[in-house]
Amino acid sequence: MLSIRNLHVQIGARKILNGLDLEVSAGQVHAIMGPNGSGKSTLAGVLAGRDGYEVTQGSVLYRGQDLLAMSPEERARAGVFLAFQYPVEIPGVNNAYLLKAALNAVRKQRGEPELDAFEFLGLVREKMQMMQMDESLLNRGVNEGFSGGEKKRNEILQMAVLAPTLAVLDETDSGLDIDALRVVADGVNRMRDPARSIVLVTHYQRLLSYVVPDLVHVLLDGRILRSGDAGLALELEQRGYDWVRREAKVA
Amino acid sequence: MNARSAVDPVVRWRAAFDRAPANDAAFASRRAEAFERFAGLGFPGARDEDWKYTSLRRLAGREFAPVAREQALAATPPAAPSFGPHRAVLVNGYLHEAASGLDGCPAGLRLRSLGRHGRDTDSASWLQIPAGGGTERFAALNAALCGDALLLEAASTVTTDTVMHLQVDALGDETSVSHPRVLVRLAAGAGLKLVVHYRGDDRAERFVNAVIDIQAGERSELQIYRLQQQGARSFQIERIEAALAREARLVVRDASLGASLARLDLRARLEGSGASAELTGLFLADDARHLDTQPRIQHAAVGTTSLQDYRGIAAGRGRGVINSKVVVDQGAQKSVSRQTSRNLLLGAGAEIDTKPELEIGADDVKCNHGATTGQLDPVALFYLRSRGLDERSARNALTRAFAGAVFSRMDLEPFARAVHAAFDARLDRLLTEAT
Repeated sequence: MLSIRNLHVQIGARKILNGLDLEVSAGQVHAIMGPNGSGKSTLAGVLAGRDGYEVTQGSVLYRGQDLLAMSPEERARAGVFLAFQYPVEIPGVNNAYLLKAALNAVRKQRGEPELDAFEFLGLVREKMQMMQMDESLLNRGVNEGFSGGEKKRNEILQMAVLAPTLAVLDETDSGLDIDALRVVADGVNRMRDPARSIVLVTHYQRLLSYVVPDLVHVLLDGRILRSGDAGLALELEQRGYDWVRREAKVA
Repeated sequence: MNARSAVDPVVRWRAAFDRAPANDAAFASRRAEAFERFAGLGFPGARDEDWKYTSLRRLAGREFAPVAREQALAATPPAAPSFGPHRAVLVNGYLHEAASGLDGCPAGLRLRSLGRHGRDTDSASWLQIPAGGGTERFAALNAALCGDALLLEAASTVTTDTVMHLQVDALGDETSVSHPRVLVRLAAGAGLKLVVHYRGDDRAERFVNAVIDIQAGERSELQIYRLQQQGARSFQIERIEAALAREARLVVRDASLGASLARLDLRARLEGSGASAELTGLFLADDARHLDTQPRIQHAAVGTTSLQDYRGIAAGRGRGVINSKVVVDQGAQKSVSRQTSRNLLLGAGAEIDTKPELEIGADDVKCNHGATTGQLDPVALFYLRSRGLDERSARNALTRAFAGAVFSRMDLEPFARAVHAAFDARLDRLLTEAT
């Protein structure tokens, strides 16, 4: 599904990723953990095609295609979805409009016909119920005046409607209270599918109690320094990150 | 400097004034007085503060033929959107009765023309010569040379449910000038929606020099919906000036989309206590268009309120100027005013100059102003693209969202629809060229 090899990325002269390797197979959920500044959000941004990063070495293959050669919209249409750490407020662009335009762009790529208004509303209502979101949010500007929790739910709602093949969730758990976290986690769990891969970028182990990952990776100093099963996340929660760096040096 | 531009434009305009037919002898002296006002002021120069960002050098160098009444009335105006059942059509400054639809106007709503009722005792005020700088000189030129000066009167029985559609067309294959002029008078307690739709095609280079004078009686309410779609080769200079009595209200919803160079002075004097004005609008300066909008509100009485909210978009080599001003006279205590100007640049060659001004002569007032100019938010653009929208659609959605705040205030449905459609069409073309 996703194959990252020796990825080097810098912002200006500052090197952020220094030879990152990651393999994600279809149907798997991977968690990427690391302290602030370790390069987690850079990785998410590079995968989605955000501006401002310079890839100096390495490759990213998504279903065999060179992901880095694709524009952000081409990636989205090919089934890549990024849930933003800080979802953007866009007053004047209607939430329903965005969902519909996004869904139709994805469906067109898949060779599926556009949904009519009735089918679209049916689908969105079902997903909104799942995310415990008020339907009135549909007719507001994108994320306009949404609370922090509503914004994160809205990201997962978009993911649920678009049904991507590869979803990257950038700190979707941050800023959520325990109830909202459970709703978001449920949303993610329902998206688990043999044909779909999910990459959770997170700071804390908290989310991983609800969405149990197949593999946990520790991102430190711009590289994956250690990988393990879900137990690694618990160990990190107890011991912090320094030991990972020390052991990596020894090795 | 070539020989043509070396000629003082006033000399050329004087020759045109001398040749103009004296069809209303009763006002010959009034017109001569107006012309001398224009001649005395001349064309604005580079040092004229009111014209700092707008050079009229191109206009000053041009010669425009006046259009005779018979010629104007022989034309058939192209099909136009309808904004209501009552319509007056001005063609090159003359009232085109055949194209107008004035039958069935409510009893209290009356439209007359100076050209045909020349001896009306009221007529002197129809040729009011303004003061106060800005487009004053062109308003004087208009008074000297206008064809039919229209008087639109609403009695107190008329309400804001009534829509008067004033269609101002500039037609013909020849280079021409016209001086549309309308005096709007609202009796105490009267209400009216007035749509002013300027239209012109690209077949000729024209100069439209328009004046709209407004006298709003106590507790009256005038809502002006203005759509400027002048031809892309043409010049338009316009002065809208309103005097508001006690508790009168003026609302302006403006969309400036056309012309090669346009200047609009939009002035409201809040003369009676409790009077209020709300001036909002949008301009779109694409290609090499130059659009200069100068809304100005004078608070001359106690407890007056004003709001100015303009949004401007410039693209290509387009240039926008938005210079709003609020003046609070000494003694106009408890005045409240707000000025907002938000501007969007869609390209490196585009430019918008904005300068909200505030002159306060009273001490117990609440006035604030703010102006911003920027580009489409790159983070929002990326967000939309990351959801599968192509760059063009994303830019389109964000630009529409920017303008949407102005559209949502246009609470005359057919007008809002027409402006929306015109704006969307232009935006589509703009983005097609850009990608």
